[in-house]
Amino acid sequence: MTEQYRSRFRTLTDGSDAPPGADHHIFIGPQHPWAEEPAHFIIHLKGERVVEADIRIGFNLRGMEKAMENKTWRQNTMLIPRACGICSAVHQNVYVRVVDKLAGVEDQISERARLIRMFSLEAERIHSHILWYGILAHDAGFDTMLHVTWRDREIIMDIVEDISGNRVNPALMLPGGVKRDIPKEKADRAQPMLDKLIKQVKYHRKVFTEEASIRNRLENVGILTKEEAKKVTPNGPTGRGSGLPFDVRKATPYELYDKIDWNMVYYNEGDILATTLVRLDETLESLQICKQVLDQLESTQGELLARVKQRIPEGSYFARAEAPRGEDVHYAIADGTDKPDRYKIRAPSLGNIDATLRRMDGEYVADMPVILRSYDPCFSCTNRVMIINEVTGEKMILNQDEFARKAIKAKKYNRPFF
Amino acid sequence: MSDVLKELEGILNVTLPGNLVEEVIKVEEGHFDVMCNVTNAFELMKVLREDAGIYHLSTISGVEKDDEFNVCYHIQHRIEDEFKEVSINLIITKIDKNKPKTPSMLEFFVASDYYEREIYDFYGIYFENHPFLQRLILPERWPDDVKPMRKEYGWEQIKEITMKITKEGLEEAK
Repeated sequence: MTEQYRSRFRTLTDGSDAPPGADHHIFIGPQHPWAEEPAHFIIHLKGERVVEADIRIGFNLRGMEKAMENKTWRQNTMLIPRACGICSAVHQNVYVRVVDKLAGVEDQISERARLIRMFSLEAERIHSHILWYGILAHDAGFDTMLHVTWRDREIIMDIVEDISGNRVNPALMLPGGVKRDIPKEKADRAQPMLDKLIKQVKYHRKVFTEEASIRNRLENVGILTKEEAKKVTPNGPTGRGSGLPFDVRKATPYELYDKIDWNMVYYNEGDILATTLVRLDETLESLQICKQVLDQLESTQGELLARVKQRIPEGSYFARAEAPRGEDVHYAIADGTDKPDRYKIRAPSLGNIDATLRRMDGEYVADMPVILRSYDPCFSCTNRVMIINEVTGEKMILNQDEFARKAIKAKKYNRPFF
Repeated sequence: MSDVLKELEGILNVTLPGNLVEEVIKVEEGHFDVMCNVTNAFELMKVLREDAGIYHLSTISGVEKDDEFNVCYHIQHRIEDEFKEVSINLIITKIDKNKPKTPSMLEFFVASDYYEREIYDFYGIYFENHPFLQRLILPERWPDDVKPMRKEYGWEQIKEITMKITKEGLEEAK
């Protein structure tokens, strides 16, 4: 096992311990126009091919786990969705399930409250997936698709806003149930909008599978086989694109996922197209789950909120949920007071970095944006690229405009970029 | 305990040597807590990884108790035909607080690299045989002896250190 292991997270910032054979090193980030959040990628190239890629993380440590130990369980309910900008509902869902279990109220939560929680989770998955494949199309140079998908994403954003009052952080859940109801008139308003979105997502799927210009950028690029995937343990859609058929909603069902009719999507090809198709098909599945939930809400009644005491009895609990990006893992230890003794959060992107770096080996540098995007990274904005020529030792630090100008010139006069 | 251990052995289809396991608790259906002493941890993980074929590591969490450290490996036993997963929390107990060290599981799980380094950063627990145990998440200027997740460092203290290193950084940039 150890000899197959290749060191990652290990290259020094100046690239001085680069792998043998690499002649150029591309440093991306921590601030870069490609990504929205900070991470430092180091890509070692031989000609046009990637020899090895590495990453440095830790530019955005917010100390959330420490902060949670200093706040009460009640206050943490509103801190925890801030763990992620896009998948806020899923973090809150795992948290409230942990508290429900530790406080011993999980049997008292009504079916209606659980259905509303599920609606929030699935709506989040839909808007996150649509956002992701829109940006993927943008990275592949197909900007028309970016605008089409983001136009259609507004439909689900409007539904979420109508139901919760917020566009991206619905914050509907509380330990013991949910904060708000979904009344019948809002459900009736949402149903035709969901129908329209299903039609649109089917059209998106058609574009991604039939339009040659985008399909060629994704097919047979960055292949991660099942055997490799078992070693680097990706989770969520990245794993399901490589033939690991595991979805936390099926594997250890929570809320009412075992009582709803839905199919898990997985592909065996392992390329970027497979992960894209997983997400496209999942969006359609989530849309039909949303419709089922709204149908069931009509006939299900019950208390929205069960009473949870401030002090949580001693104990520990580990819970997971399927976030749009993969498995979201929380582990809590309570000591009988109103504050947690220890709270551990593992967001899905960290588990997928290894798999993504492995995908890059031997690929063209032109495919890097698509591969880096494939696991739906959560990183931030920047405008600087540093290029070092190893032979002459010459360093160039370029901002976004200069980089673009250089790239256009190189293309126009057909001369090398470096 | 023995009933629960038998049930877990039935699911994993291996025998877990009795002297390695301290205690097994069934939290709920398909969810077990396995306690194990730090000296036996490597042997037990070897059985779980090589005989039972567990390959998925969700995460590792460090825990500070009153008189010891615990390290908890959250692993998933995957049953591919049924699309099911059985969660096992392997809790390594009795890690000495004065000289905290525990075996690294990098030989079994590639993913344990960065989770172990994260715990090394936050708690100062030393992972034996880890080839590259270096800072992963904390800022470069962070003082080496401050392990921020330990209970001895309060919220205010951490804030002070953060402000101090930020000021230093800004001054250096001038």
